[in-house]
Amino acid sequence: MTTYEITLMVIGVCIAAVILWLVRRDHLHGPYAIWWMGAAVTVGGLGFFPQLFDYLAVYVGIRYPPILAIVLALGLLILKILTMDLERSRQERLIRRLAQRLAMLEARLPLAPIHTVQPSTGQQSENPSGALSDSARTP
Amino acid sequence: MPEHDSLIVLIPAFNEEPTIGDIVSHVKRRWCCPVAVIDDCSTDRTAQVARAAGAIVLPLTLQLGAWGAMQTGLRYALQQGYRTAITLDGDGQHDPEGIGELLAPLATGQADVAIGAFPERASRARRIAWSYFRWLTGLQLEDITSGFRAYNHAAIHVLAASEASLLDYQDVGVLLILRRRGLRTVEVPVAMQPRTQGASRVFRSWWLVGQYMLQTSVLCLARIGHGHLSRSSDD
Repeated sequence: MTTYEITLMVIGVCIAAVILWLVRRDHLHGPYAIWWMGAAVTVGGLGFFPQLFDYLAVYVGIRYPPILAIVLALGLLILKILTMDLERSRQERLIRRLAQRLAMLEARLPLAPIHTVQPSTGQQSENPSGALSDSARTP
Repeated sequence: MPEHDSLIVLIPAFNEEPTIGDIVSHVKRRWCCPVAVIDDCSTDRTAQVARAAGAIVLPLTLQLGAWGAMQTGLRYALQQGYRTAITLDGDGQHDPEGIGELLAPLATGQADVAIGAFPERASRARRIAWSYFRWLTGLQLEDITSGFRAYNHAAIHVLAASEASLLDYQDVGVLLILRRRGLRTVEVPVAMQPRTQGASRVFRSWWLVGQYMLQTSVLCLARIGHGHLSRSSDD
């Protein structure tokens, strides 16, 4: 095994380990976890068998195999960024409608001020999060 | 003319404390209809002043901009069963006396949306921008950005939908949705007052103007080839 193969293996295994750790610790949710699990398996697999690109490059007519890896990686990254922006747009729409819904609810039923008990004094005070409702501050 | 018990006036407001009270009182006195002020995260006493003047206040927890606030009002109108909604600015530009002129085309069935137009108010730069958007979209309207509008129930229904929730401005995107849904829009000449306070949220700086022009151009280009859909089934 040559030095570059060992380097690739170490990098692949490290990336795969970090991803798997994040998925196991529930830091990556649902569909994102699936994408990144796939990425972990791919990176890990290619770390152990970098010569796969040599065979693939021949089939797709690329003379310099590392270029195939770079093109594929860039393509997948662009795809990932695109799906991230799609997801952000979906969430933005949801957040806006949620804020609108909350305003409609507050118009119908002004929220009462939120009071918390200070642990040290036992006295009640208005929670700053009561700033959520302007109406909560006015009688 | 629509019955006043099915009419609501919606006023999106951001830091309009000096003017909002008078506008709400004027509308209530003249038209005897509910007024909803959508407070777009004002840092002054806009909400309290509006409430004291007799308005229903919808306090937004996130600043959604003029259209986001307007859509909040339209959703509220739809939820509460109002058949007609008037929108006007909270800075005193729009004279509530002109509401009658806006309601006329809706009452006769001539249009689903009436826009109170006063193109003379626009600066040269703004007129160039309007001409450019007219050319890009084929819209035949003089005053594209006017916020003084009347919507009937079909238009409220269409614009309250989530399809319109990602719009950032109330002008071209909204008008394109209305056209796509086969709703008719007419302009009604109205008088407008100069702004007594505050400034346009779009034409405040060249950077914002550039952002607005670019974003709206992309929106127009993205809508090329969008055919007309059937009118809202609720109509």
